[in-house]
Amino acid sequence: MSVRRNGTGGASRTRRRDGAAAESPVDVRVRIGSLALRNPILTASGTFGYGDEYAHVIDLRLLGGVITKTITLAPRPGNAPVRIAETASGMLNSIGLENVGLERYVREKLPKLRSLGATVIVSVGGETPRELVRLVEALADAPDVAGFEINFSCPNVSKGGARYWAVPRRLERTLGVLRRLTRRPLIAKLSPDVTSVSDLARACEQGGADALTAVNTFVGMAVDLEAGRNRLNRATGGLSGPAIKPLALARCAEAAAAVKIPVIGSGGVMNGRDALEFLAIGARAVQVGTLSFIRPRAALEVVEEMTSWLAAHGHRSLDPWIGCLAGAPAASGPPAHSPAPAREEIHR
Amino acid sequence: MTTAIAARSAPAWRQVIARVGRHEDAGAGHRWLDLEVPAGFAVPAPGQFVQLLLAAPAPVLLPRPMSVASVGRRAGRLTIGFLYAPVGIGTRALAALVPGQPVEALGPLGRGYPLDEPGTAVLVAGGRGVAPLLFAADALAKHGRTCEFVFGARTKSLLVGVEDARRRLARLGGRLHLATDDGSRGRRGNVLDLLDHLAPRLDAPLVLHACGPHGMLHAVAEWAMARSFRAHLAMESVMACGTGVCRGCPMPRSAAGRAGHRADAPSLYGNREYAMCCTEGPVFEAHDLDWTRVE
Repeated sequence: MSVRRNGTGGASRTRRRDGAAAESPVDVRVRIGSLALRNPILTASGTFGYGDEYAHVIDLRLLGGVITKTITLAPRPGNAPVRIAETASGMLNSIGLENVGLERYVREKLPKLRSLGATVIVSVGGETPRELVRLVEALADAPDVAGFEINFSCPNVSKGGARYWAVPRRLERTLGVLRRLTRRPLIAKLSPDVTSVSDLARACEQGGADALTAVNTFVGMAVDLEAGRNRLNRATGGLSGPAIKPLALARCAEAAAAVKIPVIGSGGVMNGRDALEFLAIGARAVQVGTLSFIRPRAALEVVEEMTSWLAAHGHRSLDPWIGCLAGAPAASGPPAHSPAPAREEIHR
Repeated sequence: MTTAIAARSAPAWRQVIARVGRHEDAGAGHRWLDLEVPAGFAVPAPGQFVQLLLAAPAPVLLPRPMSVASVGRRAGRLTIGFLYAPVGIGTRALAALVPGQPVEALGPLGRGYPLDEPGTAVLVAGGRGVAPLLFAADALAKHGRTCEFVFGARTKSLLVGVEDARRRLARLGGRLHLATDDGSRGRRGNVLDLLDHLAPRLDAPLVLHACGPHGMLHAVAEWAMARSFRAHLAMESVMACGTGVCRGCPMPRSAAGRAGHRADAPSLYGNREYAMCCTEGPVFEAHDLDWTRVE
């Protein structure tokens, strides 16, 4: 990862942050089902805590939304150490859905997020369809919840993880039940480690999901030769970071081609240009994940970079950009650019 | 504990662009790095750490957590010193930085040594674990307290910055005690042998502040607990964020640690089973961890 803004002081950043949304010359609003987002950039579940932890350095109101760390009915302590291993251009994690549980989330986190003005999408995880039902039931009428992301794809738990949910009929039935519990958007987060992303995507659409997230982390391993063991305690973990961006783009494009509902891209986004790539291949919104560990303000920087790039290339609205390269042969291109004067140089 | 939690409920860390100042060889394969940080960066306390992120093109993705070895003010600017060994891909890249180059610094992070705890302060350093303890000796001196500084390594060439430590301690009124496994410098043996030797000569109770390899810290913890002394140990862990968000650096709690864990502690801290090294640590009291499960 890099320092991309050599020499910019805190003051100028703050001015930009405060001014970015109001002065934006590009309409970057998007809709996910019934949910209107001010921009397409969301924080990926598990990479932004419950949203409040970074609130002293990033204005949550300026993000498209905050997808909070997956909660389960009961608190979970998470997996034994070692949980993290850095690999080439990426990192493996084996956190194991450590979370505060539903009750504390409702009592403590939701009110905090409301006071911060965030658009909150709650990520929920369950070992069974019944657990998901109880979670969505409990949160269905909570005034602070804008939508749900259903974590059908955690690679780091022994029960109710990516393998368990990678069954189209199970996804379809479960979403069918959840659909009856809430009118708020249901977003199904999919694993990339499946034979056919499109089969799972269609099953979610059939079941009544409003949107999909493609994709969760890829199952990976790392070995410590000197110690003679795996670097993670649980042997495998989920790979994230720039290493997976090409893989995630392909899975995202496959999902977007398979369904009519919006697909939210996720995987290895490191800057605004990466976000624009996901949007171009058909994603309606984009999640920023691992990057937030490295730069807590990253999600907002992605919004700014994306908007600046669009403006610099003469776009007044994000809408025509979305899917402009979906299913396109290599020779066709994005909507015609008018090489407008750059409002702001994007440092690479 | 209660006040510490209250004070930390609003994190003080910031991510800023720092500039490399002095960056030079520190002997024994180590480097000393001074970073000048802009205004707004809180002054770190001994035991706290900073996440250093390299400028592009960097060979690593994640920032490197680095213990603070000194804090100074030059022309009104805060300068933070680090002592490190360029042994991995990230630290080798860090070693190539020249004065004036930018490094993104996120901090100060974590909970440092409770240096105000009463008792005879004994600082116990193993190898490069000396870094936060030299800083701790400075801080104790500022509060009019001296320390016994116990410094051990396998052999004399691994007593990193020992001459600097000697000079600083002489100025601060602390006493330096050395041990090497091979007897090439100071007492033959390890820091525990040295503690056994020193303890009867010091006013009880002792309060230990230690940093070094986990094996050494485990032994220091057992030594202190067996004698009903308090011991505060700066732990290391693989980390991603350093701020409690990623949940990547769990330290297993002991039964006492679980009993002492408050269910209403900020969620940035750990849970009943695990403490997060980055937010609840990196300094832990000996009783709070299950040393048999520490990696």
